[in-house]
Amino acid sequence: MPKSTKSIIEVKNLTKVYPGGTKAVDSVSFQVREGEFFGFLGPNGAGKSTTMNMLVNLVKKTSGSVKIDGFEVTEHADEVYKRVGFAMQEVGLDEVATAREMMELHGRLYHLQPAEIKEQISKLLKLVELEKVADKFTSTYSGGMRRRFDLALSLIHKPKILFLDEPTQGLDPHARQLIWGHIRELNRQGMTIFLTTHFMEEAEQLCERIAIMDKGKIVTIGTPDELKKKHQSKNLEEVFLKTTGSNLANEEVNENASDPYIRARR
Amino acid sequence: MINTFFSDWFYLSIRNIKLIWRPIMALIPSLFMPIFFFVVNSLSLTAFSQVPGFPDVSYKDFIAPVAIFTAIFFSAGNAGIELVQDITGGYFKKLVIMPINKLSIVLAKLVEVAFQAIMQGLIMLVLLLLWGVNFESGVLGVITIFGILMLFAMAWSCIGMIIALRAQNARLVQSMFLLVFPLLSITTSAAPRELLPETFARATDLNPVTYIIEAIRALVLYGFGDPAITQGFIAAGVMFVVLVSFTVLSFRKALK
Repeated sequence: MPKSTKSIIEVKNLTKVYPGGTKAVDSVSFQVREGEFFGFLGPNGAGKSTTMNMLVNLVKKTSGSVKIDGFEVTEHADEVYKRVGFAMQEVGLDEVATAREMMELHGRLYHLQPAEIKEQISKLLKLVELEKVADKFTSTYSGGMRRRFDLALSLIHKPKILFLDEPTQGLDPHARQLIWGHIRELNRQGMTIFLTTHFMEEAEQLCERIAIMDKGKIVTIGTPDELKKKHQSKNLEEVFLKTTGSNLANEEVNENASDPYIRARR
Repeated sequence: MINTFFSDWFYLSIRNIKLIWRPIMALIPSLFMPIFFFVVNSLSLTAFSQVPGFPDVSYKDFIAPVAIFTAIFFSAGNAGIELVQDITGGYFKKLVIMPINKLSIVLAKLVEVAFQAIMQGLIMLVLLLLWGVNFESGVLGVITIFGILMLFAMAWSCIGMIIALRAQNARLVQSMFLLVFPLLSITTSAAPRELLPETFARATDLNPVTYIIEAIRALVLYGFGDPAITQGFIAAGVMFVVLVSFTVLSFRKALK
């Protein structure tokens, strides 16, 4: 499918300063094109999750602007919510609900018609290969199944953009491959993917463009080939190591409050 | 917009109500303590009803309202813990980034609490009837009792939810149970006001739980017509309005 040149995510001078003065995101600007597979990389504590949470209005920005499909996130939050799906680091499932029940509820909350909900449930459970366990409590699922189901759940309302925050964290290689396969297929169908991951090799293979963030700033951005050429590196991992350096001191501080949503509200 | 608010509220309430009996065993712990104390006290303190100044009723009937009330008191505090679990587990975030009226998240929690109060109240009611307690005010009185209990349960659950929204820490929410015992003890739950030492009796007057227990007691022992019933409704109603308002404020602040 030919890629659009229209920007679906427009970020300008986005900044987040937490109470206490920590600047988690420092005047970040970038654009993501419609249908693009965009990778957002960086070491722990770099500000990736905070940025991603600001893109979907989960964390309030201090300054700057974010437009999703033309809508400013803070002014037209509901319009933005209708257009985005978000598979977060914390899977956040109802342990005592079945996959089908959760999907039905989410379909209702996105105000879909019952027939549409039924169709989406069937289609998405097939996509993530969970049809056989659709009526079992999600607490009985393995880590990989939970991730796949969370992915399906984030797609119930047919979003234009899918935000994925470490979607394969803690999964074995087989489960990881399954997830990447599903995501690749969604992008092939035209969905814009915004991905954060620590798997460099896979990011290099999947993403059309990659931004690397460090200490709250974007340190480099481009296609994998452009980045390798620009930083004279053999692969993306080398680009990553050259551009980010050691961030262990920052990581320790940020790990104390790793959830930017909770931290933002302290 | 108004239509979607009611539909959001409805579907979230259904989701929350399902949580009440999944697993069904989760209903038992909050019933165990009230039943235990009711059985032990009604068997061991029977002679207390012979003390001069004690109303002309059995001790079992006298403490029956406390058993119903305590069951609701214990269970309503769980709403805050569930909310913390939703927040820390990521489910709350999923709801926040949906195009729903966010107030429906809190209101659905209140529906869950009210529903649970009715269920646990009904279980206690059946057990008390089997134990031989007589409800003087009949079916209408039982409905009135449930009305007071629902108001109180929703109000009490708000304390847990306020802590959950502000601290987002399960242990802090659980610490609200420390309030249960003073609130339950500094009342007329075990003896009529006339038999309490003066200072203690005055302290019970300051405790809203006293008025709620007295209202339920009036309905169980004497039927309608006792001013304690109105006072109980007022106490539960004031708690409901004040604490629900604070919860909504805390919720709005959490979303900012």
